[in-house]
Amino acid sequence: MPDNFSGKVAVIQFPGVNCESETVRAVRAAGLESGIFRWNMPPRLLGEALAVILPGGFSYQDRIRAGVVAAKDTIMDKLSDFARDGKPVLGICNGAQVLVEAGFIPGMHWEKIDLALAPNVMSDREGYYCNWVHIRVEGNNCLWMNKYKEGDIIPVPVAHAEGRFVTNDKDIINDIRKNNQIVLRYCTESGDLDSSFPVNPNGSVENAAGICNPQGNVLAMMPHPERASWLRQVPEDISGKWKAKRRNACCRPEKMEEEGPGLAFFASLVKEMVG
Amino acid sequence: MKARAKLWVKLKVTDLVVETAWLTLTEKLEFGDILYGLAKYSCWFMTCEGSDSESIINALDRVISLDSAFTNQNKHKYSLIVEGENRSSGEDGKEGVLRRGDLQPEKDFLFRVEVGSAELYVCDCLVSELESDKDKSYADRLNGRLDGVFVSEMRAGLVWRMIVRADSKDDAAEKVQKMAVTRSRREGLLLNPHYQEFEIISTLNLSERSRV
Repeated sequence: MPDNFSGKVAVIQFPGVNCESETVRAVRAAGLESGIFRWNMPPRLLGEALAVILPGGFSYQDRIRAGVVAAKDTIMDKLSDFARDGKPVLGICNGAQVLVEAGFIPGMHWEKIDLALAPNVMSDREGYYCNWVHIRVEGNNCLWMNKYKEGDIIPVPVAHAEGRFVTNDKDIINDIRKNNQIVLRYCTESGDLDSSFPVNPNGSVENAAGICNPQGNVLAMMPHPERASWLRQVPEDISGKWKAKRRNACCRPEKMEEEGPGLAFFASLVKEMVG
Repeated sequence: MKARAKLWVKLKVTDLVVETAWLTLTEKLEFGDILYGLAKYSCWFMTCEGSDSESIINALDRVISLDSAFTNQNKHKYSLIVEGENRSSGEDGKEGVLRRGDLQPEKDFLFRVEVGSAELYVCDCLVSELESDKDKSYADRLNGRLDGVFVSEMRAGLVWRMIVRADSKDDAAEKVQKMAVTRSRREGLLLNPHYQEFEIISTLNLSERSRV
């Protein structure tokens, strides 16, 4: 575990998260140095990091409400300064829940709670849902997505029980829409928006799968790009344009190690930082 | 006849959600000088129709005591109370009140800090989900199995019991709201108002009764 995060991507490990190692591997595969930053390490070290990722899992066992206890942690004071300085912050799944409960997302009123990631609403079930879905790239105002093009369709897994972006304030949704902050939307394999389950796996407002702050440096996304960073992670029966790539890689180990559909989130950071 | 039924369920062992909430409220959000006690119950409030209170409570008790959607005997204790409309006396002496179970929420006050001479209020705060079909799903679950009893209304949620130092009932309500409703990263913890609602269902001034 590195003690020095200068020039590295810090992946914060709160008690109970479980995707920190996969996330570090995905960042390294994209070409940046990365390490796990335990939540109780000296907060000043976080200031030296190049970027910060809050990975998926169950911080504090999802006690009270997913993400809310981590959102009150001391380390979040430093992360708040970090994000306000315009440095890159990504929250994946539970990390997204932490960013929403901390008021970093949608971020028009910094640290004010304008959104929730509420329990999934699904037509024939309740609780936890885990499956591959398709998401569509909307706009290009988020630095975590500058390797994608508008309209790109990305197959990626979701695995959560509380992933429904929701607000009780219509003005907030209008503002988010106006600012083009919904940068990822659940869609069909051909890119059509369909608000019904399972295309929209949790009933999220506006089919939102990822929302960034107005400056575009902080992104909260429910799907797991680190679980779609190599072709070997993509299921054989995936539909859409990744189907042929995955089929061609079958029984060819060297091909299976090629880039998967989610790696470009981390590669976007390289493009942003290194050019 | 119609009767109101209340089911309160609590863990028999230490509730780690409550422990985490307590530490977060007192240590991270600095409500340590206000909050004196905290507990959590899963609650169901129902309106039932049946021939009499006795048959209603017996039918409910038979189902909820064995259905893990409500209670698990290995880890929960519970209080089931039915308040009938046309009954002259109940089993506990209070008019029209019948009860089952091994939990007595009205006596369940745990102080975590020395009380001293502080003016204390016990506030029970019901947190439930907005636009959720959970209430209907619980009612349907019961109605399929209750013999001769129909649950016509249902409200389910978590009740957080907060013992707070306050100058008045209104002051207590204000402090409880500040601790409960998450408005910002530094304010509130127990619910997110974008999908949950909050109601103080009872407030008791502890100085008006003997302290446990």
